[in-house]
Amino acid sequence: MTFGFRKAASRAVFNLGIALTALRVNLMRSILTTLGVSIGVFAVVLAVAVGSGAQVSVMGAINSLGSNMAIVFPVPDAENGGAVAERGRLTMRDAVAIERQVEGVTAIAPQLHANVQIVTGGRNASTQAIGVTPGYAEVTNAAAETGRFISDADVRAAARVIVLGRTVVTKLFGDYDPLGETVRVNKVPFTVVGILEAKGSNLGEDNDDIALVPISAARQRFTSDRVLGPDDLRILFVGIEDGVSLGKTKREMSRLLRDRYRVRDGEGSPFIIRTTEEFMEETATVTGIFQAVLVAIASISLLVGGIGIMNIMLVSVTERTREIGLRMALGAKRSDIRNQFLVEAAVLCMIGGAIGLLLAIAAAAVFQAQADFPVPIGVGTAIGAILFSAVVGLLFGGWPAVRASRLSPIEALRTE
Amino acid sequence: MTVPLVETLSLVKEYASGGGTVHAIAGVSLAIARGEFVAIMGASGSGKSTFMNMIGCLDIPSSGEVRIDGTATSAMDSDALAELRNRKVGFVFQQFNLLPRTTALDNVAMPLIYAGVGRAERLERARATLEAMGLGDRLDHSPAKLSGGQQQRVAIARALVTEPLMLLADEPTGALDSQTSEDIMQLFQTLNEAGNTIVLVTHEREIADHASRRIMFRDGKVIEDGPVTSRRQFRP
Repeated sequence: MTFGFRKAASRAVFNLGIALTALRVNLMRSILTTLGVSIGVFAVVLAVAVGSGAQVSVMGAINSLGSNMAIVFPVPDAENGGAVAERGRLTMRDAVAIERQVEGVTAIAPQLHANVQIVTGGRNASTQAIGVTPGYAEVTNAAAETGRFISDADVRAAARVIVLGRTVVTKLFGDYDPLGETVRVNKVPFTVVGILEAKGSNLGEDNDDIALVPISAARQRFTSDRVLGPDDLRILFVGIEDGVSLGKTKREMSRLLRDRYRVRDGEGSPFIIRTTEEFMEETATVTGIFQAVLVAIASISLLVGGIGIMNIMLVSVTERTREIGLRMALGAKRSDIRNQFLVEAAVLCMIGGAIGLLLAIAAAAVFQAQADFPVPIGVGTAIGAILFSAVVGLLFGGWPAVRASRLSPIEALRTE
Repeated sequence: MTVPLVETLSLVKEYASGGGTVHAIAGVSLAIARGEFVAIMGASGSGKSTFMNMIGCLDIPSSGEVRIDGTATSAMDSDALAELRNRKVGFVFQQFNLLPRTTALDNVAMPLIYAGVGRAERLERARATLEAMGLGDRLDHSPAKLSGGQQQRVAIARALVTEPLMLLADEPTGALDSQTSEDIMQLFQTLNEAGNTIVLVTHEREIADHASRRIMFRDGKVIEDGPVTSRRQFRP
């Protein structure tokens, strides 16, 4: 057994030696041939990386909302240009009912949204103002980096205070500390009381380009011209305890809202409830499909590269027919000849794959630096790319290698 | 009686050719004993090379049997034949058939790979064999840097390195000038005197005269088989 293994190992090493020699002898041809595989591996690795990047990005966007939560909003009325339908309006009373009656709810973050223009000292910024309650901080993992967050007292008094996101601060004040300054939001003066911790961006969406005001102030100042009632909400975030089933909580919320609005069985609910879990699952599915499509397209170039390998291996076998005959005469078995060419094809492809991988890593680095989008190439992807290249070599080198091994020794030797 | 080293029984080799059948070998039965130096002669197309390829197990007979060292080969598969060639036969070719861009040492060590010999021992045995051929100072030369005679010596070393039962040489001097041919034939004689069985295919009478036994082929049949009377003997 030991002898058998040493013999096999010795032959394997020797085959590698033969392969490297053969490749060196035809260096230019080898390089040109591997180019096809390089491009194929380059494309596939980038496709995998872009797919993973999309996934990472969207997951990040979902996580930045808050890890365990549900979002409740009225079904948009298609006939009314996306405005809120009359029958389901989602009010502050609904939010409070959810907080009090549904098990596992830790906090609620009722919101009103408005696009606003903020002006100070000749500078201005367009951003989204969100009317919030203190619960917003808890549900979305937001916090004031300096200063303070919106308080209950602010909400009760409809105080004209504002907490700015980092991007807005930079636009309006540059490096200057704006705490205590007055800014005009849609011409209404607000006092800056806090700056939010930066959350970064996902998929080109800047999470720090926001301004928070008390929900009561938002209702008075920014949304008074809408058809909303005095108690209406645009959207409600519901924070849910860790370890509690999001599905169960969602069903309880849904039942509660149906009861409150007397929705009969069989009738559609006027509210949409989405949980982070659902977002995650949908995202995983969509980005998975996205990635698979990218990889499938990229694989075509790898296929073309593989055909190039097969072509050059057939040429190599033909050119070295006499050598094959000689080796057989000197005692090489069919399997020795087959393995010699398989190793040669695999080595050729792995070199091509490694070049493609390096190109992909470089391209990913450039892409990541230029665009705000992660393109992660993991160790697994890298090893996978090299191994996959070897498999391509074995697949496409297989037929030429088998053809070589089936040659008759005497006919091979006679070849000129 | 001892078992002959090579024995052929009613050996036939046919080729289909343009609708008809060509009998390259048409029923040859003969035996070669250990230690013989046999020259197989004949004109082009007489079947001499085909015969040698079959006793070297490179070519497969259409019918009949080749026994090597008492073992029948007709039932062997390609792996068994490869192993038999590796262990028992050493081939020397007219065109040397050395691997280009490969050192003399690596060329000679090559058959030992297929015998499963470890690297250190391979190189050691190859070096010793090359030194015995008087090429101790040419170990790292590639074939392109060697003369024809030197290349054929490397090829002979490659044939001998596995310590085979017999050397089969197909026109080994066909690509060499007459003086170098003479040197190579003297080398074969020396090897034969050291106990090596040698079968040589040639169409030149002068070359065949170095052997101790001459077999004449014509039209795939043996027409003459006997000792060489006017043997050219190398005497140092």
